[in-house]
Amino acid sequence: MKDEKATLTLGTEKIGTLLLEYAIPAIIAMTAASLYNITDSIFIGHGVGPMALSGLAITFPLMNLAAAFGSLVGVGASTLLSIRIGQRDYASANTILGNVLVLNVVMGLAFSMASLLFLDPILLFFGASDEMLPYAHQFMIIILAGNVVTHLYFGLNAMLRSAGNPRLAMMGTIFTVLINLVLNPLFIFVFKWGIQGSAFATIISQVVVLAWQFRRFHDKRSIIHWQKGIYRLRRSIVYDSLAIGMAPFLMNAASCLVVIIINRQLMQYGGNMAVGAYGIINRVAFLFIMIVLGLGQGMQPIAGYNFGAQLHRRVSSVLKRSILYATAIMIIGFAVVELFAGGMAALFTTDRQQIDMASVGLRWVFAVYPLVGFQMICSTFFQSIGKPGKAIILSMTRQVLFLIPLLLILPAQWGITGVWSSFTFSDALSVVLAGALLAAERRSRQ
Amino acid sequence: MNYIITIGRQLGSGGKQVGEQLAQCLGIPCYDKELINLASRESGLNRTFFEKADEKSRFSVCGHLFGLHSGYMTENTGNYLCNEALFKIQSDVIRKLAGETSCIFVGRCADYILRDHPRCLKVFVCADFHDRLTRLMRTHSLVEKEARLLLEQSDKKRAGYYNYYTNKTWGMATSYDLCMNSSVFGTEEIVRMVELIVKREA
Repeated sequence: MKDEKATLTLGTEKIGTLLLEYAIPAIIAMTAASLYNITDSIFIGHGVGPMALSGLAITFPLMNLAAAFGSLVGVGASTLLSIRIGQRDYASANTILGNVLVLNVVMGLAFSMASLLFLDPILLFFGASDEMLPYAHQFMIIILAGNVVTHLYFGLNAMLRSAGNPRLAMMGTIFTVLINLVLNPLFIFVFKWGIQGSAFATIISQVVVLAWQFRRFHDKRSIIHWQKGIYRLRRSIVYDSLAIGMAPFLMNAASCLVVIIINRQLMQYGGNMAVGAYGIINRVAFLFIMIVLGLGQGMQPIAGYNFGAQLHRRVSSVLKRSILYATAIMIIGFAVVELFAGGMAALFTTDRQQIDMASVGLRWVFAVYPLVGFQMICSTFFQSIGKPGKAIILSMTRQVLFLIPLLLILPAQWGITGVWSSFTFSDALSVVLAGALLAAERRSRQ
Repeated sequence: MNYIITIGRQLGSGGKQVGEQLAQCLGIPCYDKELINLASRESGLNRTFFEKADEKSRFSVCGHLFGLHSGYMTENTGNYLCNEALFKIQSDVIRKLAGETSCIFVGRCADYILRDHPRCLKVFVCADFHDRLTRLMRTHSLVEKEARLLLEQSDKKRAGYYNYYTNKTWGMATSYDLCMNSSVFGTEEIVRMVELIVKREA
């Protein structure tokens, strides 16, 4: 069987070869998602204006929260699905598919209704100023109206992947990016639909790919497909999916809270343009973070298998190599940003003040990035050797636990610089923590 | 063609004993904890990982944490030390053994894993709580309070494990061919009855 052969090579094939083989597809998928966000912001920044960019940044937490609710269903259900597929239990697998469809529709509609009802109060709480509010409002109205589509698209994509079609799932992702890349400029520059054009492009691209997914699951020959009797919610499926999805949901929800704090502090200490500047920084930083996450995903099976097989030399070899690559990626990011911060910011906006703010912020945020690659790989490493607790701690400290107190304290002293430097200090502290945890791990094995 | 007997059992019901005695009478191997060694040998992974995952926690959180920043793009098949992955390896071992020779499996969702095997007798052994308590106190040399706690925990764990991996209900008659109460029949009587069925069919 294919699986067994794959397992075998994990313990024998050269580490460098394995890492490339596993990491490159993951990195491509991650980069595609990230490029989508970047181009989105570029079109809005140039086609609609700097204030729209700020309005967009204000909506990040709400978008995160929507994705968090999506992952609450999707992550667990796809885990259950891959268990059933692994046992060739296609009847149960089909029930999961039907349940996912219903759950996503229910969850998606409930989230849309609740957030549409209180949209303006929510956006104001997220830190929107009167100038940004119309942009954020217009954008979110469309995104939330299409929220069911978004949830279904992500949910079914995860189903495709777990049902043994990772390549098809990746094609789906890349398709949405490409369609969006065509529609976005068309709607913004030719049709002059403003920020709503971008939202329409996002939803339409997902509708197209969703239609394609529906057709795939309509094919009676595929192992899971639409059929009678799979749509009635099963208590065990709902319960298990939600229980598994709770951890990723909480982590997404926590990062949503962090972005709210960031935006509010920026609004208070830097004003309208600072929020948009953060939007720019977020997009650039995300690109490099995602590449390293992709690398980590590629490392996971290799580190996990060899750790389990007690081939410790191979474990430390793959860890070292991953850290090396991650650091190299981050050094490139660091160098590009420190050399061309202004130029990078100007890709997104024409506003002088926003460019200046973004380039200062970029320099701060990327200041310790050459070490952050190490931290992120450590976190993924703990996860792959069956120590999710330490993985969560590392991931949470950098993005939440260290960051929130710093964000609340530093700006009072240093103003907007305090916000930017919070990232730097939080990253630096979590790098130290990662080093300590890794050293403890190595000691415990000797 | 070879035949298989799977035995689901409550802790303290004597199900394991039934399996061992049957194995002796029928001259076929009985796999219980040995499955861990076999799964370990088959996969190359150390046995401690299988022990940790054995009939225990419902599921692990590994493999589900990252990649969600982008709308859960992660492939959750990537983690080899996940309980789910270890279960897959163990069930592959069970299927492989079942394809080769006649044998007996105790626990580990074998009845579900081998549900499509044409000659598989699925047995479940239960017992009254009081009898289980007495048996457990004797075999594990425990006082009553400890044994009671162990029984309650074990029922919860085994049901959780079984229901999670099979999407069925542990101990529910429709999942099995033969459900017997060892408080009513006694383990020897159960062994004799199963042997009778096997000999008639074989």
